[in-house]
Amino acid sequence: MSRPPVILVVDDEAHITHVVSLKLSNAGYDVHTAADGEEALEVALSVTPDIIITDLQMPYMNGLELCAKLKERPTTRNLPVILLTARGHALNEEEMKQTNIRQVMSKPFSPRQILDSVEALLKEHKIEDEDSLAA
Amino acid sequence: MRYVGLTTIGSVGAVVAGLLVGVTASVTPHLLPTATERTAATFIGVSAAITFGLVGVPLALLVSRRLKIVSEAIKETASNGVPRPLPGGEMLSGVTHRLDRAIHAWADRCSSLSASLRTAELRLSVCEAERQHAEATLHSLHDAVLVTDAFNEVSLANEPAAKLLGFELSESTHRPIDEIIPDQVLRKMIKEVRQSGVLSKQKRIEHSIRGTRLNEANARSDYDVTIACLPDQKQTGVGGVVTILRDITRQKEISEMKSDFVSQASHELRTPLSSINAYIEMLIDAEAQDEASRQEFYQIIKAEADRVSRMIDNMLNISRIEAGIVSAEKSEVDFGKLIHEVLETMQPQARAEDIKLIDRTGPLIYSAQADRDMMFQVVMNLVSNAIKYTPEGGRVTVAVENDDESRSVLVSVSDTGLGIPPDAIDKLFDKFFRIDNYKRIAKGTGLGLNLVKHIVETVHKGSVGVSSEVGMGSRFWFIVPFEFQGG
Repeated sequence: MSRPPVILVVDDEAHITHVVSLKLSNAGYDVHTAADGEEALEVALSVTPDIIITDLQMPYMNGLELCAKLKERPTTRNLPVILLTARGHALNEEEMKQTNIRQVMSKPFSPRQILDSVEALLKEHKIEDEDSLAA
Repeated sequence: MRYVGLTTIGSVGAVVAGLLVGVTASVTPHLLPTATERTAATFIGVSAAITFGLVGVPLALLVSRRLKIVSEAIKETASNGVPRPLPGGEMLSGVTHRLDRAIHAWADRCSSLSASLRTAELRLSVCEAERQHAEATLHSLHDAVLVTDAFNEVSLANEPAAKLLGFELSESTHRPIDEIIPDQVLRKMIKEVRQSGVLSKQKRIEHSIRGTRLNEANARSDYDVTIACLPDQKQTGVGGVVTILRDITRQKEISEMKSDFVSQASHELRTPLSSINAYIEMLIDAEAQDEASRQEFYQIIKAEADRVSRMIDNMLNISRIEAGIVSAEKSEVDFGKLIHEVLETMQPQARAEDIKLIDRTGPLIYSAQADRDMMFQVVMNLVSNAIKYTPEGGRVTVAVENDDESRSVLVSVSDTGLGIPPDAIDKLFDKFFRIDNYKRIAKGTGLGLNLVKHIVETVHKGSVGVSSEVGMGSRFWFIVPFEFQGG
């Protein structure tokens, strides 16, 4: 039996990390949480998640800085990211290039939508991996 | 008179001439060859003298009398301005008729000129009044107005223009704009509009101008600049340019503040709304696996809804104070009693966190004219914050004293809490400001301290402040004047 995909949920609002992780846990994922960018970087390097769901505005290190750091590291370079934002943030070209953000989701969000996005991204990611292995 | 004199002289002259001929002929008989000729000459001379005397004198007198009447008629016409019909008489009828017509024409011309003069005088005084009115209007404007002529020289300016551009108003007339306008862009625009030669040409831009030597702030201010052409005397070409500069710095600041406020407010509201939305969806999807989880979700939804409600209340209160539509219900507030009530209210929360609330109000009366409910909210917010950011086992002390010198009441709330980092002190009373590192320690709207500041400073004309040391605690204080100073 293969291990369940690992998801890292990052938000400084405890209720948000709680509700998202509960939704994903109930769906069978192995969920880890962090309350800011610095903590998230540590967790990401230790558990090597399959997807990161992170808030944009956080203390110490914000979501974009976290994504940029993740892209610099070999083990997390291709890690797909879902960005949660309360500001209706639209990514610019520079941010697209420097990060691996695959989807931007505005708050208030729906946990169902997050689950759907995670499943879609994992599928996509798996196909990409298979393609790269075949090549 | 002149006519009468001349006529008299003429008549007398005629008589004298006749007499002279007769007398000369009779007293100088030796000049004539014969006695008969001399007798004839004497006779002719005497006859001529008699004839001149009999005909010339009455005629002269008649003419003289007529001329006198004519003269008086002219005099009367001149003084009254109304032509008087001249007495005809057969003898002078031709002359008086022509004279009469000339006098009538002259009198008409006189009265027409006189009417024109009166109209011109009236117009002049109206023009002068209008000019003074326009100048007074120009000088009473807050906008800077500068009128330049076809040579790009100042023809008119008002005090705000002089202050903004830094020239002396009394010395500005006929000075070239190159000398008095330091702002290159503005000079260029004025010249361009004038050179366009198109009367309908008008330019309107937003432009930022640095303060001048007369402007104390010396900072850049934003202006709405309108430059329009003025017609020349023939009303066909461009005779000059009027430049109007309206200071929109404050307007822009308010607009930016408003959009920041809306942006921040929507951001801050989205976070609790996200939680509410997500937990409701979880309940609908039966993701709560037992009753305890469901109860937990309900509690979270309730707490987050309360947070949204508090935020909206605070935002509305702040907006009302900022808009100046809050009226304080002033009464004599006993701060000792008020602090006691706040501490009673907050006791359960403090006990839950194992924090000791200390009342240091003393036995005196500490009272000031203020809005009691607002003051209750101020003390409550400060005590609530102190409890939130003080670790278990800590202390929160509330004290009050009268400052007789400044005639005000000073209330302070001190804690043994986390303290505030120095870089956050200045921003602490700003809207939506929260210290990032403390967000996890306690929930907040980021509006409580801003509301405290508005209530104390804007509504009650007092002041608030804070001193703090990280790890040692903070002391928040506010001062309210004994007598209500607010509006």
